[in-house]
Formats: sequence, C-alpha cells, structure tokens
Amino acid sequence: MTYVFGSNFLSVRADLRSALDLAYKHIGETGDWLTGAQRVSVYAEMRQAWDCQLCRDLKAELSPYNIRGKHDTLGELPEAWVDVIHRVTTDPGRLSERWFQEALTGGMEEDEIIEVINVCVQAIAIDVFTSGIGLSLPSLPAIGTGEPVRRRPSEAKTGPGWAATIAPEDVGDDFADFYDGDRHFYIRRSLTLVPGECRRLWHLLNSLYIEDPRITELEGVERGISRAQMEFLAARASALLGCYY
Amino acid sequence: MNGNMADNLLPNGVILNEFLEAIFARDSSRLKYAQNGLIAAMGEQALVDAAATIAAFNAYPRMADSTGIPLESGKEEITQELRAELRLDRLQHI
Repeated sequence: MTYVFGSNFLSVRADLRSALDLAYKHIGETGDWLTGAQRVSVYAEMRQAWDCQLCRDLKAELSPYNIRGKHDTLGELPEAWVDVIHRVTTDPGRLSERWFQEALTGGMEEDEIIEVINVCVQAIAIDVFTSGIGLSLPSLPAIGTGEPVRRRPSEAKTGPGWAATIAPEDVGDDFADFYDGDRHFYIRRSLTLVPGECRRLWHLLNSLYIEDPRITELEGVERGISRAQMEFLAARASALLGCYY
Repeated sequence: MNGNMADNLLPNGVILNEFLEAIFARDSSRLKYAQNGLIAAMGEQALVDAAATIAAFNAYPRMADSTGIPLESGKEEITQELRAELRLDRLQHI
C-alpha cells in the first residue's frame, strides 16, 4: 500500500517526506530478526496498546507491578512481545531492567526485543507526525516476503544499559561510519545490537529532528521553527514521557 | 518543563505547548483547534516541523528508557546542579 506524507494543502519538505516513506514501507519488509509480517503486527499492536485496559490500569498505579493482568491484544504476537510493545508505547518512563529481563524469560531473544523496540518507535513517530499535521493515519504497510538473517554481530556486548550494543571502539568496517563525527552518544548506540535496522531508524530520526544536534542554532538546516522552539518541544515531550536522559 | 506557561518567554511558546499537549492527549478536537492556531500564528511549515520534532521526541525517550542507557559522564557533570535541584537522582527504577 502507498501513503502520501503530505497533501495538496500542506507541503512537507522533500527529505522528510522521503524518510517517512522509506521508514513506513520498510516496516513491512523483512528485518534483521523479524519477518515483514511480524513487523507489521508490531505496528498494529502498537496502535492497539492505546486501547488496552490493562495499560490504562497500570498507568494509574503507583508502580506498574502493583497489578497483574492480560493486555488487550490483537492476538497475533506472543504474550512477551505484546508486553514489550504495550509498555514501550504507553508507559515508557517506568520501564526497568526487571521488565527487560522478563521479556527475555518470557521467550524473546534480546535481538528480537531490540528490533521490536525499533519498529515500535518508528511506528509511533510516523503516527504522531501524520496526526500532528492533520492527516489520517496510514493503513498498515504492505507485507513483503523473505526470511530474516537473524545474525547477531559478534562485536556486540552488554552495556551501557541493559542491552548489548556495538561500542564505538568495537565497530567493524561495515558499521564504522555510524559513529562518524564522534557521535558516540549513548542514545545513538542504544539499538545498535541490530545494526541494519538501527541505521534505518536514524535516517528517519535525522530528518524529523537534526542530524547533529551539536550545531549552534540551525546553521543552514531549514526548519519552519527556530532551534529554541524545537528544543522546547523536545524537552516538553521528554518530560511528559517521564524521560530524564 | 512542567507545562506552566505563565512566564514563558519563548515566541509562540504557548501555542506550541498547546499543540504538543493536544497530541499527547490524543484528543482530535483539541488537536484540530491547536493545529489551526499554530498555522494562523506561525504558518504551515511551522506545523510540519513542530509535528516532526514532537514525533522524533516520541522516539528518542522510548529508545533510552527501553534500553536503560545512563547519562554520559560529561552530561552527568554539567547537569549535576540541575539534577540536584529537581531531585532526579532519588528516582530508582522499580
């Protein structure tokens, strides 16, 4: 299925339109660890999370471990996957190492968790953008065929958080450019366990925000709002999500 | 960052904040009103890039919080006073 990220009434800059289109279509294609069908199911389950009663109940509790229950799910993915998707979507500020370990003991491979998170955040970003500019949400992407390679990079090791990542000092030749320009921030490193998908995610993020936020003001980057306004929105969004990174 | 816009000095800060809060509230009527207000005050490209920034910052926090990445030591140093004032270091993952 095709979707146009823009309209006759609202022009979206070409680089952003292209990045969104690429990200949207790729969600339906075979990933590094997930099939296209699984990836689209993740997207669908992300949307379902907003209507989940358990998620609403958990959000109202002082701790997400105060109550136990079953998520209201579409039923296409295993329970552990559903919990990852729903919690990342509706209550990311209270995720914990305990939650991460529970996903592993629930039967997920660490690499699957990372790719699920990757797809989830891209899907959320796409949906937030489209609704933000007044478009209806896109239908789910077309599902491609093929089997994922499911090969973990040998240079990945646990840290700096709970998951394994590829550290800047350990990158192989095929991923070395990912950290060009001393972009060694932990946020950039966070999902590198699945490097191919990580690259695609950052292609989208760089167009949504700025490729290198260390620049002063916008330095030639064309945006419809000022740098200060961007940072205000960034800080408010992060605060509302309970993120203090 | 608590949403109290009474003393906000950022140009169009109130309008931008309302737009952001409408998105987070998932309230379509409120969002429509906020979109119109933003376009009227700042133009269509402002709407596009405000939405794009908010979209990006619906991704980054989730990436950070779902993988438990800590603050880099450099950021930890320069934010020490701010974190102490906000008492953020008292927060523990449950």
